[in-house]
Amino acid sequence: MPNKNQHSDLDESINVTEAHGRIVREAAACAREKRIVQNGIEPVSLWALGACAIVFVIAGGILGGGGNLFAYGTNFREGYVRTPAPGAADSGPVPKEALVAYMAKGAKIYSAKCNGCHGSDAKGNGATFPSLVGSKWVLGETERFAMIVLNGLQGPVSNGTTYGVMPPQGIGMSPEDLAGVMTYVRNNFGNSKGDVVTMEMAKAAIDVSGVRKKVGTSVTGPELESDHLKNLSGTPLDPKTLVDPITLEASKLP
Amino acid sequence: MSSANSTTSEQDAILRSGIDRSLRHPVMFFLTSGAAWLAVSIVLGIVASWKVHSPELLSGCAWLTYGRVFPAHINALIYGWGFQAAFAIIIWMMARLSRKECKAVGTILAAGHIWNLGVALGIVGIFAGFSTGIPWMEFPIFAWPVLLVSYISIIIWSFIQFRVRPEGHVYISQWYFLAAMIWFPWIYITANTLLLCIPGHPLMGVAINTWYKSAILFLFFTPVALGAAYYLAPKVTGSSVYSYSLAKLGFWSLAIIAPWAGMQKLVGVPIPYFLPYVGAAATVLLFVPAITASINILKTATSSRDVLKGSPSLQFMTAGIVGLVIMACAAVFLNLPNSTLPLSQFSMSGYGFQILALYGFFSLVMFGSIYFIVPRVTRREWLSRRLIKMHFFFSIYGIMTVALIAIFGGIQQGAAQEAFEQPWQNAATSAFPYAVATTIAWCFILFSNVFFFLQLTLMWLRLGRRSSHPTLLTSSHDSSSSPHGDDGDIDNAGPAFQATH
Amino acid sequence: MSFRIFILGLSATFGVAWLTVVVVPYITMKNLKPIELNEAVDGAKGIFYPKRTGRIANGARVYAENGCYLCHTQVIRPTYAGNDLYRDDWAGLKADPDRGDTRRETNAYDFFGEKFAQVGVSRLGPDLSNLGRRVESIYAAGKDPANWLFSHLYNPRNEPKRYQSTCPSFRFLFVERTIKGNQSSDALPFSVDQNVEIVPNADAKALVSYLLSLKKDQAIPAVLNFAPPKNKG
Repeated sequence: MPNKNQHSDLDESINVTEAHGRIVREAAACAREKRIVQNGIEPVSLWALGACAIVFVIAGGILGGGGNLFAYGTNFREGYVRTPAPGAADSGPVPKEALVAYMAKGAKIYSAKCNGCHGSDAKGNGATFPSLVGSKWVLGETERFAMIVLNGLQGPVSNGTTYGVMPPQGIGMSPEDLAGVMTYVRNNFGNSKGDVVTMEMAKAAIDVSGVRKKVGTSVTGPELESDHLKNLSGTPLDPKTLVDPITLEASKLP
Repeated sequence: MSSANSTTSEQDAILRSGIDRSLRHPVMFFLTSGAAWLAVSIVLGIVASWKVHSPELLSGCAWLTYGRVFPAHINALIYGWGFQAAFAIIIWMMARLSRKECKAVGTILAAGHIWNLGVALGIVGIFAGFSTGIPWMEFPIFAWPVLLVSYISIIIWSFIQFRVRPEGHVYISQWYFLAAMIWFPWIYITANTLLLCIPGHPLMGVAINTWYKSAILFLFFTPVALGAAYYLAPKVTGSSVYSYSLAKLGFWSLAIIAPWAGMQKLVGVPIPYFLPYVGAAATVLLFVPAITASINILKTATSSRDVLKGSPSLQFMTAGIVGLVIMACAAVFLNLPNSTLPLSQFSMSGYGFQILALYGFFSLVMFGSIYFIVPRVTRREWLSRRLIKMHFFFSIYGIMTVALIAIFGGIQQGAAQEAFEQPWQNAATSAFPYAVATTIAWCFILFSNVFFFLQLTLMWLRLGRRSSHPTLLTSSHDSSSSPHGDDGDIDNAGPAFQATH
Repeated sequence: MSFRIFILGLSATFGVAWLTVVVVPYITMKNLKPIELNEAVDGAKGIFYPKRTGRIANGARVYAENGCYLCHTQVIRPTYAGNDLYRDDWAGLKADPDRGDTRRETNAYDFFGEKFAQVGVSRLGPDLSNLGRRVESIYAAGKDPANWLFSHLYNPRNEPKRYQSTCPSFRFLFVERTIKGNQSSDALPFSVDQNVEIVPNADAKALVSYLLSLKKDQAIPAVLNFAPPKNKG
């Protein structure tokens, strides 16, 4: 009787029948396997066909939404325009009160163009640059003030002292900028005129400045007294009106 | 091949067991190293999933930051476990179907070791902070040529075996395996060359990457699993394949549809407008080959209830094919561009769907194949049916949780993301319960696989049960009715042979 | 089915798709023509080139290596694909003091400087297309945006409003060192000890520089401007 404890893979036996038996035992797992039979010819169930048909329709719908197929040049849907947010407020910046909006714009112009000479507190330096705080010409008629800003000034100022020559600031200045900086200076640094120089008024000022008798030169005190002692034409704006802070146009929102 | 339940002749059994013998080392190597990577991947998956809902866990360590643990997890799952399980099944089934022994065991083993080295270095590279940042291709740039060469060295022999096969009909599994073997290098070289080697537009890199993710899922893992299932179902039950022409239709519909899928994840991204919609349509249409194959295989597998109840391979395989059906339905449900796609696009349903495909379908079919192949290759039987049942049921619990998360949790998270009037924190918080559920699901899966690793290691060490009686899930109390002889009877070679002593 | 038919069929079915969906778009996008700006319509001349300042290549590398793309996206989808444009500060700023509503979709020119556009995998965290804009204008308004980002990266849950954030802590991108002389300008506002300051390392600085460069709301040429036409009252 062969010793069952001696069984191993490399066991060689002279007894052919026994060796044969062992090999077949070791192929037992394979011996009990079944063959693959593949000739089934059952028909496909109608449910499966129906489900596939529905999926085809869905996929077709998806492809339809794909626009022109193989249009490699377009990265967005043809004719796409943003749809506004459902139920939400209009996009864009929050409207502000006119005085606040104009002054915000003016503050930027002031720091770019004016505070180099007049100082960040608008007090000037007492010798070459006059103070704008409480100045008659600043707080008085708007056309006079606008002419100074646009064309520059020579000679004695409102209190009689002669400072340096002020260069013109009107080149490339838009009506928004002019209106903003005028409103800002009239309502800041201790001034509190309380009114708004509107874009319409600023536009009128630019027109007036363009048809001056001495166009191209800076204004002088006497010229201001004789020609420009008036307010700019334009409808006055309630400082509490809501405007778009970027365009300074009246806001359409309630 | 005409009658249903014919058993094989002795000589053929000896031929087949010779093939199994020749393949023992490569197959067991791929299965054990693959299983080891599966363990690593699941543990990393638990850590990653935990960090999604409780980020303070192990938070100081650079190597364990979520952004490195998660890529390590998914890459270990795909390249460490997925590919190696596929290799084992491909080389064994192709050898069996071509009736040829494996003559290149040394080369395959060497290539397998190189594959493992490549994956290991890649994972370490990700942890150390050298990830490429490209999803599913995070291995540092040196890794992909190494893996490619190793891949070719492993599967080329199955090609050769096919070419020198004896005359006869080519079975559907062989077409599926051959297709997978050809598709993968094409896809892999394309993606890696166009993303890592040649400079292109940054957005097309993203598009090709999403195509790659879908392509290896549907053009490698799916055909390998389907090929394995088409082998197991008729083999174990002895029934004929339900409808063979349907099987061929399923194969060609997969070949035609799947290469177009993948870019549906990029709707709204400024790549050519039609690409994501073609991808969505193709993913939806994948329902067709999936259902075709599933009906075929399930009808075959359920043709004999008793066999199905008893066979662990058949049970796992059937569960995997059911997973395929669920995956096919999810593919339709989650990819409708005007309703669910904007919701699922950037939610956790993407990950859930991928895990459903990789574990709920591919891995379960692989487990079924492993429970069939390993006894043949080691000539031992599985030790405990109880452990097999634990493996089975806890895997099912885990993967069902993942499926529910993918389908429902992802949509809910997406809806919260799209609710633009609410602060973003609402959308972030809505993901919390689903993240917890994912962690629990991975824990179930780890628990189930502990039993698998245990049994597989014992089989690898040849400590399985020496018996000609298979380990079935149902015990036959009336042992005289079993064709394999008395339960527990060792060394009984079956009814065809009587012991001489 | 013979082997030859099989190979032909496989090559044809895969090859057509591969060419159509992968190769041709790759080549087309690689040769993407820059947009010529039209003076009359766009208000500027030259080529449309959204400028990005910052250490984009280095920072993008750190971003990729630490997996930020797993939880954060960098794409603003058009309104037919999602609601990203409707959020107040994802696509730009709803109320920028200078330019008004600057929100816009992502376009194909927005990822210059990066090899792989980190469009992202999922949105566990918010979209980052305009993170730089958000940090400078909202989160760190009036303060140093880089310091805000350093504090956030060190511990995202530090800020009271973000106590529920699940962003990982990137403590490993910082070093603790004893204060020599004056405190470094990069140092975090808190520390572990009196004489110790926490400063970002090179990777953290590159990453923050990259994150602050994420401002994808520049003015765009008319051909990419999909805003509805304004009705002038």
